[in-house]
Amino acid sequence: MDATYIALAQMAVGGGLMGMAYALVAYGFQLTYAAGKAVNFGQGELVMLGAFAGISLAGTGLPYWVSVLGAMVAGAALGWLVERVAVRLALKQHNEGWILLTIIVGLFALSSVENIWGREDRAFPAPWPTGALDIFGISVTWPELAIAAGALGIMTLVELAKRYTMAGIAVQAVSADPEAAELCGVRSRSAISLSWAVSGAAAAFAGTVLGPVTTVGPTMAAALTLKAFSVAVVAGLDSGFGLLIAGIALGAAENLSGYVLGSGWREAPGLILLILALAIRPQGVFGKKIIRKV
Amino acid sequence: MNASRSILAFLLATSFSTVVTAADVVKIAITGPFSGGSAPMGVSMRDGAKLAISQINQNGGINVGGKKMKIELIERDDEGKNDRGALVAQEISSMGDISAVIGTVNTGIAVMGDKYYVEKGIVKIITPAAGSASMTQWSKAGTKDLPIFRFASHDGIQAQMVVEKALKLGFTNVAIVHDATNYGVSGRDDLIEQINRQRGKLKVVSVEKFAIGDKDMTGQLMKAKSAGAQAILIWGIGPELAAVAAGKEKLGFKVPMIGGWTLSMSNFIDTAGAAGNGALMPQTFIEDESIARAKPFIQAYHKAYGVTRIPSPVSAAQGYDAALLLAEAIHEAGSTTPSKIKFSLENLKVTVKGAIADWKKPWSTWNPSNVESHEAFRRATTVMGKVQNGRVVLADPSEKFVLAGTTAK
Amino acid sequence: MFARVSIGLRETTAERIVRIALFVGLAALPALWQGQYALGLLTLMAVYAILLIGLDATVGYLGQVNLAQAALFGLGAYGTALAVQAGVSFPLALLAGIIAALLPGAALALPALRLEGPQFALSTLSFATLSVIVLNESESITNGALGLSIVRPSLFTVELDARGYYWLCLLVLFVAWWVSQILLKSRFGLSIEALRDSPTAADALGIGTLRHKVLAFAWGSALAGLAGALHALNFGYLQPAAFGYDLMVMLLLGVVFGGRRSQWGAFVGAAVVAMLPNLLSNRTLFSSFVSFGCIVTLFPIFRALISRRIPQFAVTAPAAAMALALALSLFAPNVEEWRKGIFALFLFAAVVGLPDGLAGAIASMVHRLIRFTPDPLPPASGGIRSAGISVALPLHVMKLSKSFGGVRAVDNITLDIGQDEVLGLIGPNGSGKTTFINLVSGLYAPDSGTVEIAGTRPVPGSLMSACSAGAARTFQNLQSFSGLTALESIVVCQRDGGKSEAMGWLRAVGLEEKARQRCSEISYGDLRFLEIARAIATRPRILMLDEPAAGMSKPDIERLVALVASIKRAGLPILLIEHHQDVVAELCDRVAVMDGGRLIALGTSDQIRRDPKVIEAYLGSDDEEANVEGETEVQLC
Repeated sequence: MDATYIALAQMAVGGGLMGMAYALVAYGFQLTYAAGKAVNFGQGELVMLGAFAGISLAGTGLPYWVSVLGAMVAGAALGWLVERVAVRLALKQHNEGWILLTIIVGLFALSSVENIWGREDRAFPAPWPTGALDIFGISVTWPELAIAAGALGIMTLVELAKRYTMAGIAVQAVSADPEAAELCGVRSRSAISLSWAVSGAAAAFAGTVLGPVTTVGPTMAAALTLKAFSVAVVAGLDSGFGLLIAGIALGAAENLSGYVLGSGWREAPGLILLILALAIRPQGVFGKKIIRKV
Repeated sequence: MNASRSILAFLLATSFSTVVTAADVVKIAITGPFSGGSAPMGVSMRDGAKLAISQINQNGGINVGGKKMKIELIERDDEGKNDRGALVAQEISSMGDISAVIGTVNTGIAVMGDKYYVEKGIVKIITPAAGSASMTQWSKAGTKDLPIFRFASHDGIQAQMVVEKALKLGFTNVAIVHDATNYGVSGRDDLIEQINRQRGKLKVVSVEKFAIGDKDMTGQLMKAKSAGAQAILIWGIGPELAAVAAGKEKLGFKVPMIGGWTLSMSNFIDTAGAAGNGALMPQTFIEDESIARAKPFIQAYHKAYGVTRIPSPVSAAQGYDAALLLAEAIHEAGSTTPSKIKFSLENLKVTVKGAIADWKKPWSTWNPSNVESHEAFRRATTVMGKVQNGRVVLADPSEKFVLAGTTAK
Repeated sequence: MFARVSIGLRETTAERIVRIALFVGLAALPALWQGQYALGLLTLMAVYAILLIGLDATVGYLGQVNLAQAALFGLGAYGTALAVQAGVSFPLALLAGIIAALLPGAALALPALRLEGPQFALSTLSFATLSVIVLNESESITNGALGLSIVRPSLFTVELDARGYYWLCLLVLFVAWWVSQILLKSRFGLSIEALRDSPTAADALGIGTLRHKVLAFAWGSALAGLAGALHALNFGYLQPAAFGYDLMVMLLLGVVFGGRRSQWGAFVGAAVVAMLPNLLSNRTLFSSFVSFGCIVTLFPIFRALISRRIPQFAVTAPAAAMALALALSLFAPNVEEWRKGIFALFLFAAVVGLPDGLAGAIASMVHRLIRFTPDPLPPASGGIRSAGISVALPLHVMKLSKSFGGVRAVDNITLDIGQDEVLGLIGPNGSGKTTFINLVSGLYAPDSGTVEIAGTRPVPGSLMSACSAGAARTFQNLQSFSGLTALESIVVCQRDGGKSEAMGWLRAVGLEEKARQRCSEISYGDLRFLEIARAIATRPRILMLDEPAAGMSKPDIERLVALVASIKRAGLPILLIEHHQDVVAELCDRVAVMDGGRLIALGTSDQIRRDPKVIEAYLGSDDEEANVEGETEVQLC
């Protein structure tokens, strides 16, 4: 095969795998949006906190998988906390205060991380083999594959739980109609809290699989939030697995345009496509059409 | 609505009021990014300078005209942002009783903010910002009387050394990879200038850049690889440098990285791991306790801040030595007046024994047509370092005399 | 707690006096606080205030989270810097800055403003990121990351020093503030607020969403450009990275902290954004400031405890945040490094504790202390009258159909309404009545069939077009403009005539007394009457009322019947959806019955009651009842 095509394929595959990480973080947005029509603009900070928690736990000598679980528990607690302090009140008052409050809580988290763990990027120790796999001339590293597997795994797990557990069904009921759900004996507040906790756990998990690829540091949060948010909105905030397609597409588009147009322009075509996609399908590419009711 | 005015007045009053002047202290300000992406450099620089100052204060302070005066520090975080840096410069230059300023990591902030010091004639020692523009802006403007000094191996020297090293290793085709910030872009321009001076001995086959925060460098590296680059000349900071090293590993692209001193930052060395081995960079200081002159500083730093590794050893050592030089200048000036300090910095009599070198009259009277007059570092005081198993060591052990040497300059 | 003092001034006059005093004070400040730093901060504050007044046009008045303002600010700054490099004069350089932000801002507005909520925020964010990339990458023009240095040109031969430049910025701020205030209090501004509160009602009443959104965005962008121009000329050095996400977050927080929908709020926000980071650098001042904040937040807790209530989250959370900030400022080993975190705690306390921002909190305190003389209301004039004689039928619907998924909500309906006629539209819940009105009024585009209003065919699916053809409607679920007063709600809907005529419409529905009240403070029943007044104020040719009596008290229903009767007398045809049988019977000339999307019966009220299909629709198919045809009467609903 022509070297240029291999190069392009390499770029697309690498970007697509990173895009799955965006999708995994975006999945957290989807969970909380379904339950309470709010998202956490500090989701990137949760990813970062999860990764740092994982590093610290692994540092005490715990095996990788245990530290990942520990990080997820911490992430769930933080997700719950964000809902409690930054979202619940604003939703009760029906205003957009949550957008700012989640940004503010994220800012505080960032400052805390800078002071507790330091400002430097750190490597995340993972038990994956080093070196790259060569698949038809395209190199793929094990940590990148772990991202793909992790994103698919977590999303599948949560989607199954949503359909086949009582708690999952309750959450779905609340997202369909909180008042009707209350009348059926579902406590919508607990369902919303649960969604935020699961979203936080997913974010922390994303941190533990992203860490080995990108390293972990206080600056990772902002970029991640923006990318994941783009993926969530372009796919549609109720798009389910459509996220993965949008995430892979965005990641691949970024890498390809960086390669073809020069790395400074890496994000430009993705952003233009994003504006166009929203202008044409405001509800998202895979979202359900919104019917205005009066 | 009256209440809002009084709150505003309170805000204004509190943010403008300056600290009450005490006659028996020398006030020195330290500025730099203490939060955000370039914080490791800013914090190390600050902590290095604070170490020197606390040592001076423990010995009773600076002898100024027969009176022992302690040093009082004012710290300002510029967050690595230009606007904020300019405001910090305005604030410090308006305080009225500041003798000198040490700091700045980001060249853009020096370009935007230093004019306020120059207007007031306040002495500033730039460290560790290495971008050429922070000094050349004054030579271009033809400023006559300049209170700005630099205490860092500037990019001109570093680029020269990098290019020379590439030639010495026998390369003919190189790729330039740099970050998209002021630092990276001006580093790229310095490299290209130095390569042009070599008159065709070195060919640039590809110029690639990356943004702060980029983690995937395979695109840039694949282009460099397919263009046949034998080495990567690189200008960036720690995290992205590490990503480049990781990308090389992934693609099996085994060519050396040669670049600015930032390749010695711990956030490069730690995160790159084995992939970072062999990276070459100019160094003014190496965190190596076997070098006798550096040992006391390294040990004191480790003890004072409870670390076993300095985040950015070069920044820390430069901050430390800059503070020592400044203290000596204040002593020789016998005054805390900036203009007198400036004069004695330009005409230092005593050789200052620092962590990096013995500094014998590092600066001379400002000459707008020669930037070197306010630059402390020369080609001869800088060595090539190499990353080896998580540490920076001398690339060429025969250069050890430069660091141990007693005759800097 | 306090007796309110009457000061014999109108609120607008008092505000003007305080505002002018503020500017006089600000102009005099450099004489009190000497030094470059004070001037630097004050200039920055003035520039940010212009920027935030612009941002408030979208975030406050339009109610959309706009994340492009920082980038537009940067574009304005670069526009000016490049113009200065090209050697143009000072005023032209300012103009260049405004244009450099206005044009891309307006271009962005077109696709972005069809969006709402998170989608709007994201598209503005994408635009912002894109702008910074373009500035960074166009090295040949902008010098990229190396930054662009310029020297400030003289203003008409006057070389401005730092103080002169500050005064210039202050003057520009004064004008920007003043113009914004006039603009946003005008009909244009009211329209923006109306469409924020209910875009559907705004379109249905002919106010027009898109045009106003684009104009509001353009105004905000122009101010961003102006502020950027002043910023470029102030610092003389620009780098693209300065206009990124960090600045945007600060600006957004500034607007919310200061208080939305108010130029005062934008000003307070700008002061905080400019001053607070600097304030936090001084440890002593800073910890005293935090202690002060901590004490202030404790007051509401004590008040709650004294009256034996459990303090609410909105009361305890700010206190907890301030206590944490205080602990950090006292015990953290290096406060400087916790600066961002403490700043976040401050903002958290402010956003939770002061939902209307600092300016809003102060304004409500002032209102509690001082009684202002209310603005005089014009005398009511005019009243309900018909829009004139038209030969065509007011409403002519042919074979109209609409499906949602597999459900045929409206199925092949043909219906006419004659001059002076009140047609009742009834049917069980979910029979498609509201969908029918939504199709006629243009909220939905029909799958097939046509709607003709007074002889013209509006564009299908366009509320605006239906409204300009002469359709006006009310909504089953109230769509009030909650930020506007009753009078303002009418003013934005009027096609012509001034406030006095608007008072006339209010008088017609019996709400003359409530003209000054905000819709958010008006009772449910009265809001229903206000919606009717809004609709008839557009001078329609057909009025559609969607369950006007739903949830109304008995006396209100009587008022409603009288009102509809008087509208009918004035010659305005009405399509009335209603469940109250007595209302339908009393008012309607004919009644149409829908079931499952189909029109199953049409006739007088009496005929309908005996129609077997209607009986079946309401009571279900029952053989026994179907047999006693003609003898059963249903209580419709």
